[in-house]
Amino acid sequence: MTVFAASLLSPDAGLIVWIAITFGLLLVLLRKFAWGPITSALTQREATIAESIAQAEKALAEAKQLQADNTKARREAEAQAQAILREAREEAERLRGEEVDKTRTQIQQMQDSAQAEIEREKQSALDSLRAEVADLAVQAAEKILRANLDADRQKKIVNDFLGDLSKN
Amino acid sequence: MDSRRHDSRTDPMIKRASFLLLFAVAAVGLLPGAVMAAEDGELDALHHSANAYYLDFSPLGKMQLPRIFVVQHEDGSYGLELFSSTAKAILEGGFVPELAIEEEHTEVDSLAGDDHVAAAGDGHVMDAGLYGGITLAQLEAHLHAPHGAHVVIDMSISRHLLFAWIGMAIVILIMTRMAGMYKRGIGRDTAPKGLFQNLFETLILFVRNDIAKPNLGDKTDKYLPYLLTAFFFILTCNLLGLVPFGATATSNLMVTVVLATFTFILTQLGGTKDYWMHILWPPGIPTFVKPILMPVEILGILTKPIALAIRLFANMTAGHLVILSLIGLIFSFANIFGPGAGYGVAPVSIAFALFIYLLELLVSFIQAYVFTMLSALFIGMAVAEHHHDHDEAHGDHHADHHAPSVA
Repeated sequence: MTVFAASLLSPDAGLIVWIAITFGLLLVLLRKFAWGPITSALTQREATIAESIAQAEKALAEAKQLQADNTKARREAEAQAQAILREAREEAERLRGEEVDKTRTQIQQMQDSAQAEIEREKQSALDSLRAEVADLAVQAAEKILRANLDADRQKKIVNDFLGDLSKN
Repeated sequence: MDSRRHDSRTDPMIKRASFLLLFAVAAVGLLPGAVMAAEDGELDALHHSANAYYLDFSPLGKMQLPRIFVVQHEDGSYGLELFSSTAKAILEGGFVPELAIEEEHTEVDSLAGDDHVAAAGDGHVMDAGLYGGITLAQLEAHLHAPHGAHVVIDMSISRHLLFAWIGMAIVILIMTRMAGMYKRGIGRDTAPKGLFQNLFETLILFVRNDIAKPNLGDKTDKYLPYLLTAFFFILTCNLLGLVPFGATATSNLMVTVVLATFTFILTQLGGTKDYWMHILWPPGIPTFVKPILMPVEILGILTKPIALAIRLFANMTAGHLVILSLIGLIFSFANIFGPGAGYGVAPVSIAFALFIYLLELLVSFIQAYVFTMLSALFIGMAVAEHHHDHDEAHGDHHADHHAPSVA
């Protein structure tokens, strides 16, 4: 049994040599045929992924910028439309006011001209009345003078004339 | 339970039950063989874990491995002697096994006619305790060269070496297949595909990102191949010990010493001027202390790989010893209290052994990790570009003294 126990820790130069050769060979073989391609592929993939993420982030930022631009443009367009609408409304208002004013002025003018016409008609009527009255007075005076009439007659004539006058 | 309603369910249940039954029958069937072996004094935990020049397929038999000796003859010339088995080395090559005094050498001569029947698993010869014509003690013994020659170096293919080679072959097969996949663009231009690639890529990335990079920094690429090789080789060897009839190459101190030596050499070769300055003339301390610290630091260089070697060896041996001791408990009980007690204690022993087995599975990964981690740490400390800062120097010493205490 002591032999067995010792064999667990006994030095074994042959095994050391063999394992050194084995592990050295494994190291060389794997280094050449396995680790190179594997680690380079992993590094490349990591680089690709990092690049993709960076690109995606960039694209996202661009999209956000674009969206912001769009929003801004829409706001501006809306504001512009609002302004145009307001302007149009004001213009319409203004036009309507002008129209009302114009109409009012026209009415005023028409009223004025009608007034003037009436005045003129009245004046001409008065003038013609005055002329008529003068004419009648002259005619009455002529009749009085021509007939040389008595006082009663004269009175009667004048009354008749006045009666005529008042009828006119 | 209504069996008709659960028809579809009972089928797999029956399968499972029959599997368990098979397992139980196998266990019970194997036990007598093991008991017999134990009665021969064969079941010895240390003996089972130790290196040997045969593969143990008990109870089927033992397969002897080739023996290779570099010998120096009496006239001073060197020669290489090859035998296909230990039996042939003794019976045909005339090599003399170094036996305990009570063993009779003449016994072998009388049985020399029996040739390798035991290797094929013949029960009759096994009963006689013979393996290819030699006894187990002779098979285990240290061999001396005949005719005044002496063995310079015993280059025989031992069990642990064979399993180191199997481990190497497995690692090479797996990793070249992985490399092939990456070369085809799978995993490089696309996502890794399948269980195989994902599983090993996870381990490779773990070694690279969590072991190599934190310790080595921008020197990762230079030492990564070594760390990956060490990790996968140790892991495979550790796991091979858990395979039935397998052996753990990493439970051999010689193997772990070689692995630690690789780390040691890489550490010293990569050592910067600062690293050597810290050892030979440590900065930041009074001059009269420096000559005292210097031998301590030099000792420190050596203790690191020694601790590395012993840690891996001890961890991988311990689990096996505990399992074998637990199994041995069955036979101890059987010997002391009779076979009934042996069968009675068996379920408990097996349950505990199973638990230790699972623990060993965990330890296999942990020890591969710890070895690689500490290798990366030691190399990293040697190759790091230091700034002459007292605090940092202090921090390094702190790490020095803590690292080997990791079990």
